[in-house]
Amino acid sequence: MFVKPFRYERAESLAHACDLLRSADGYAKAIAGGQSLLPLMNLGLLEVDEVVDLSAIAEARGVTMGDDGFAAIGALTRHRELERDEALAAAQPLITAAVAWIGSSRIRNRGTLGGSLAHSDPSAELPLVMTALGAEYTLTNGTDERTVRADEFHVSYFTSALEEDELVASVRVPVLGPGWGWGFAEVARRKGDFMLAAAAVIARVADGRVVEARLALGGVHERPMRFGAVESAVAGATSDELDGRIGPIEGSAPVSDTSASAEHRAHLARVLAVRALTDAMTRGEAA
Amino acid sequence: MSEVRTSKVDELRVVHQPLPRHDQAEKIAGTTRYAGDLAFAGMLHARLVRAQIPSARLTRRDATQARAAPGVVAVLFGEDVPNNEIRVDVPGQTVAVGALKASMQVLATDRVRFHGEPVALVIAETEDALAVACDLVEIEYEDLPVVSDPIAALTDGAPEVHPGGNLLAEWRIDRGDVDAAFAQAAVTVEETYRTQFVDHAYLEPEAGVGWLDDDGVLTLRVATQVVEHYRDVAKILGVPDSKVRVIAPYVGGGFGGKEDMTVEPYIAVAVHHTRKPVRMLWTRNESLLARAKRHRNVMRYRTAAAADGTLLAHDIEIVSDAGAYAYLSALVLLYSTVHACGPYRVPNVRIWSRTAYTNNPPTSAFRGFGGMQMVLGYESQIDEVAHRLGIDQGEIRKRNALVKGDRLPVGQEIITEVWLPQTIDAVLERAGEKPRPSGPRKAVGRAIASNMQSYGRLVWLNDSAAAWIGFQMDGSLTVRCGVPDIGGGQASSLGQIASEILAVDMDRISVHFGDSALNPLAGTTTATRQLLMSGNATYEAAVLLRDQILSGVAEETAQPVESLRMQPGQVAGPETTVPLTQALQVCRRRNVPVEALGTFFGPKGKEVTRDLEGDRIFPDFTFGTHLADVEVDLDTGEVQILRYLAAHDVGRAINPLSVEGQICGAAVQGLGQALLEDLVVQEGVNLTPGLFQYLIPTATDVPDVEAIILESGEGLGPFGARGIGEPPIGPPIAVIPAAIADAVGALPTTLPVTPERVLRAAGGR
Amino acid sequence: MSERHDVTTTLTVNGVPVTKTAGAHLSLLRWLRDVADVTDPKYGCGEGVCGACTVLIDGDQVSACIVLAAQVDGAQVTTAAGLSEPGGSLGPLQRAFHEHHAAQCGFCTPGMLLCAKSMLDESNGAPLTRAQIREDLHGNLCRCTGYSPIVDAIQAAQEAGRPQAASAP
Repeated sequence: MFVKPFRYERAESLAHACDLLRSADGYAKAIAGGQSLLPLMNLGLLEVDEVVDLSAIAEARGVTMGDDGFAAIGALTRHRELERDEALAAAQPLITAAVAWIGSSRIRNRGTLGGSLAHSDPSAELPLVMTALGAEYTLTNGTDERTVRADEFHVSYFTSALEEDELVASVRVPVLGPGWGWGFAEVARRKGDFMLAAAAVIARVADGRVVEARLALGGVHERPMRFGAVESAVAGATSDELDGRIGPIEGSAPVSDTSASAEHRAHLARVLAVRALTDAMTRGEAA
Repeated sequence: MSEVRTSKVDELRVVHQPLPRHDQAEKIAGTTRYAGDLAFAGMLHARLVRAQIPSARLTRRDATQARAAPGVVAVLFGEDVPNNEIRVDVPGQTVAVGALKASMQVLATDRVRFHGEPVALVIAETEDALAVACDLVEIEYEDLPVVSDPIAALTDGAPEVHPGGNLLAEWRIDRGDVDAAFAQAAVTVEETYRTQFVDHAYLEPEAGVGWLDDDGVLTLRVATQVVEHYRDVAKILGVPDSKVRVIAPYVGGGFGGKEDMTVEPYIAVAVHHTRKPVRMLWTRNESLLARAKRHRNVMRYRTAAAADGTLLAHDIEIVSDAGAYAYLSALVLLYSTVHACGPYRVPNVRIWSRTAYTNNPPTSAFRGFGGMQMVLGYESQIDEVAHRLGIDQGEIRKRNALVKGDRLPVGQEIITEVWLPQTIDAVLERAGEKPRPSGPRKAVGRAIASNMQSYGRLVWLNDSAAAWIGFQMDGSLTVRCGVPDIGGGQASSLGQIASEILAVDMDRISVHFGDSALNPLAGTTTATRQLLMSGNATYEAAVLLRDQILSGVAEETAQPVESLRMQPGQVAGPETTVPLTQALQVCRRRNVPVEALGTFFGPKGKEVTRDLEGDRIFPDFTFGTHLADVEVDLDTGEVQILRYLAAHDVGRAINPLSVEGQICGAAVQGLGQALLEDLVVQEGVNLTPGLFQYLIPTATDVPDVEAIILESGEGLGPFGARGIGEPPIGPPIAVIPAAIADAVGALPTTLPVTPERVLRAAGGR
Repeated sequence: MSERHDVTTTLTVNGVPVTKTAGAHLSLLRWLRDVADVTDPKYGCGEGVCGACTVLIDGDQVSACIVLAAQVDGAQVTTAAGLSEPGGSLGPLQRAFHEHHAAQCGFCTPGMLLCAKSMLDESNGAPLTRAQIREDLHGNLCRCTGYSPIVDAIQAAQEAGRPQAASAP
């Protein structure tokens, strides 16, 4: 609760923010919603010399539908806005569903998409969903931009591909097409807690069978990951066959902590994968 | 609103009414100033530097850099404290129960024994200066072995936490012929049950302000359940007891966690040293690290029963974890031992209980105080007996229930009616049909669990409480009583009792409480004792005062005193009725005091011996039964509580709203221990020092607790009340595992019952 | 490295503009309590988990312990005291809490009130069920009451607040 004094700079634009980060004396951190970083500071787990505040920046907010089958979401869009955006709910309901699991409404009132992605917590919902969707993040350092796919952006625990003077500017996500359904399943000890495990799925269904599935799991590795082996295993399956097609999930490396053991997380990952795939199939058939 | 069933119809005017409490409006308006809300101009700030490892010798302590930091006023070590010792001394405690071992240093000088033990006290002008300075205090350690398991701590050759060995206290009971009972038993059940460290997790972390008043009295306004700690502070400072004053404002939750001193010694030392006002606020992290926890118990039960389900014998072994310092562990163990057989008649009993030092966080008082952990043991055992013999859960409990006149294994006679069967019937009747599972991979279970929990303190502690009531000349009333109010309506109940006897409306009564200098002392707000003690003291004072007023009016109006009645605003007689204000003036003229001091002495008994041979240990007990319906997700192990009923015989509900609040609040706290809460310590290191790791129930984790209040009128408190603050916390930790067992077929015996433990019990279903 | 960097922040707290220059590192909670002497938002955890520090920023509930005061410069801040009537008597939501014994120790109460206000404002008149109320309350911890009377109070306030309800606020 007793944070040591730091310098404060309020950025007027993303470019200005990148400049401030570059020119800062000592350790500087950008803060948007602050819902991940400020608790760490209060607990004494993070000390900074300077904070660059992004919350006054007017740009990089909101959801824009493209006509190319993709939507663009500004990095400074708050979770609350994502939750309520009707166009997004129609176009990519996997995101809308996942956002509802983030913390409490107080956290969602402040937290931002870009902040959550940059924080790169493998137990967070948005990095997971973006990985499942194959979303692309546009990163800026004020002058140049580059595009990085979600699965390359999230490197490890709280580690992303961002350079020290870079910020996420926007995220490009595919729109859910005809024949595609989505599923999101999460288990936490209490509502709003960090996940023990979660599964995010989109799947295309035809004649009651999986044509194509994209499955990502959270809470079971140092970063959210897609599991190609499972995706292949369920190709052609009916929803009744899903459970039998999925064995123990290879390639996951969950850890034990005070909330759950690694074994339990691995067990849950499998259960949730089946649930999310089942839901995706049900929705895909109706789509 | 809950259901209230009363056995005696009395014409009570105010008592027994569900009145909103007088402190509620301010709390709801947000104007209440808790201990951390008061600030003084020129106030200094204090913070502790704590050991970050669980067992070490202190090889170097250096504050040179810290003292040089801007804004720092002082950095104190143990040597700077006038008497560097905190003694936890319950009045009357004897050597036999380890009282003289219950001490620790205010600030450690040579050795630290737990993760979080205080080593230095930093005092600065601002909180910012404090944050910087605390990091500059240099402390070096030499690692010492860590003892983290209480059973291992009791083996030969275990490293000693304190010189003299790790056994802090021990009791042995042997009644009847246990071996013979087992020889003739139709059924024998043996099992080991384990409970966990639990944190009080009150919403208000420890906090307070101290200052020297104009008479040089060191005054502490702190979140506490005990104002009598002024004596302990005085000893630490080396000043007379009369030179220290403790004020307890409304406390943001206690549950026993603010029963021992927390911030008091440190604020006092800081004020004493600087002669300025000082504030200290603990972070949640400090609270989770360093506040004493609920003891974790390992309880091995062996139970013998006859073919008709009658309990023949219990052979019980208890080991509790006393943590790094004794605090109240010996007493808590005593409670565990006395409560170990539950509310049942058991003729042959052997109990061996021990509490051991470890390098884990210290353990001390927590609602239920050792008596509640045993519920998991005795209820699970009786359920297994019932299961093996094909007897219904309710039936077997009724068959074995204590009745008035029975004696507990320790010899104590039950002197009031036991309404245990009525509480069992109440929950079963209200529950109706067991619900069906909501899906193919779900299972539903139902169970009941009963308990007994003492109220009032151990009788050989010579407990007493006093209260003062005085009329103002306009007929309004002032009550003064040192009772701390920790949210259970302690102060408000006294107003209700005074209102009832003296016929003054509640909104004309002020209750001044919680001040060791300005109130008659009423003792601790713990042990479910305040209604019994300060309630009865207030009752005594009110009766004395009433009799005084009536005697004055009787003389004045020449009416017999027995014919007079106190009524709202007047004293009524068969011939003459006198307005109250006039009656008070009459008293003044006739030198009849319009105020009275009442003192209530708790039941007395002789000190217990090592084998607990004694006639009476507690004043009395409160009995109850809970029922739970749960639904288990067989794939994830998640448990949803569908329905929860809690029935207790409270004797008399002075304020039914408060009683219901205690039942629901305590039950939910118990449910937290059953399913979610685990203060995880590994090799002495606390792994859950934040509320995002230490999980307490949220509004979505528990259903509405349906409280059923039964009133036998048999309690020893005013108007026949029994204490209700602690009893409802016990049954949840047995009823939830039992309901899960009903759903999945095997009983989880370790708390908390996490989803993993549920899946293990379900065993691949 | 730890030079103080002060910022001047203006917040309208319960309708009253307050301008202070103080350390930029101060959370909104510390700013309110220590700088502006507004003590009804409480410190319970500093992690954004317990809800005791809940305030409304421009009508939206936030955890004041994990927002920097500087970040919300210019905003309207509502604390529990802001729900009282101008004369200081209890407002309708507070009265519902009082009537239903929804506070014991009272420490979580300011946060609970603001969570309740927020959920009622955002329900757009559609009545919330007990289950929905409990869901919306999940971020506000209470250790004393077991939550039922708080749910009762919110339901009652909801009833009283409906346009067609007979009872006047």
